Amino acid sequence: MKRTLLAAAAAGAALAAGAQPVSYRLDPTHSFVHFEVMHFGTATLRGRFGPLEGIAELDRAAHRGEVSLTIPTRIVSTGLPVLDSRLRQGDLFASEAYPEAYFVARNFVFEGDALREVRGEFTLRGISRPLALRATSFSCGLHPIAKRDWCGGDFEAELRRSDFGMSFGLPLVADRVRLLVQVEAIRDQ
Amino acid sequence: MTKTLLATALLAAAGFAQAQSATYSIDPTHTFVTFEARHFGTSTLRGRFDRKEGTVQFDRAGKSGKAQIAIDMASVSTGVGPLDGHLKSKDFFDAAANPSATFVADKFVFDGDKVTEVAGALTLLGKSNPVTLKASNFNCYQSPMLKREVCGGDFETTITRSQWGMAYGLPGIPDNIRLLIQIEAIKQ
Repeated sequence: MKRTLLAAAAAGAALAAGAQPVSYRLDPTHSFVHFEVMHFGTATLRGRFGPLEGIAELDRAAHRGEVSLTIPTRIVSTGLPVLDSRLRQGDLFASEAYPEAYFVARNFVFEGDALREVRGEFTLRGISRPLALRATSFSCGLHPIAKRDWCGGDFEAELRRSDFGMSFGLPLVADRVRLLVQVEAIRDQ
Repeated sequence: MTKTLLATALLAAAGFAQAQSATYSIDPTHTFVTFEARHFGTSTLRGRFDRKEGTVQFDRAGKSGKAQIAIDMASVSTGVGPLDGHLKSKDFFDAAANPSATFVADKFVFDGDKVTEVAGALTLLGKSNPVTLKASNFNCYQSPMLKREVCGGDFETTITRSQWGMAYGLPGIPDNIRLLIQIEAIKQ
């Protein structure tokens, strides 16, 4: 989907900075999105999506990057099959009409050499809104087993589910949803 | 699964008479334990346990409480099948020999009406060590569906798994494991 766009942007960036963007592929077994939402003001309800697929390009010297993540909404998992089925329904994730959610970002914010934020757009139920993922940890190195360039970290974000038309249960189940993103990516061969 | 284990724990807990104490049964649909572990020092790996049961007795006026919770270790769920299998093996949970982890708490700390801390013993792999859960949220509400009072909250603690003899993969696989507990219990 976004390969051409990414390639074009990478080429542009390379020309501009003489820099070296590197292509990475997400390691699905270490790429998950967990969500948290407060239930009746009492305890947090948790669920996850994953393993997740995606691609990224990162130019650490030029402090630029791009990422594209695809989330198949029907794989939602809360630990309760009955709740998972309910969440797939039309007034919530609407997984039949909108089988995939997407996160696409081209604005990687660095502080020195440290990645601080990835600013992009999240599309859920066909509705797109800006979303910024704050890095709580991020580092690159040599993958101990694959022996290739490897980057990974944790990111956090918050959104209002009503912004995406998911209003069922308000206000007893909160509008504010916290997203905890775990991601690891290995350099493309 | 753990009826005998729970009965034993309950009998032990019942030794203390609590005149104003009310008993709450843990709602398994709103109670989960999530664990977090750093993977190769970069990203956080998460998993949860899908089967659990237990009871809580607490006395808000007398500011005391007890809890007994049993977790089915074979119900671990990380989203990655082979990892679930590895965790259930002798390398980690040894679920075949130790099917349940139990938490028996005998000390509740209150701030006014709210529980702020629950202290007790966690038994894992046949070993018991003290564990204190700190509340980041606590609340009671009248459930419109159940027509009963529900009390619960979010609790957390960090355990050092080697204290229970779970030493596989140290130090690359970390010793410190964060536990996030979401709990709701229904008044009986």
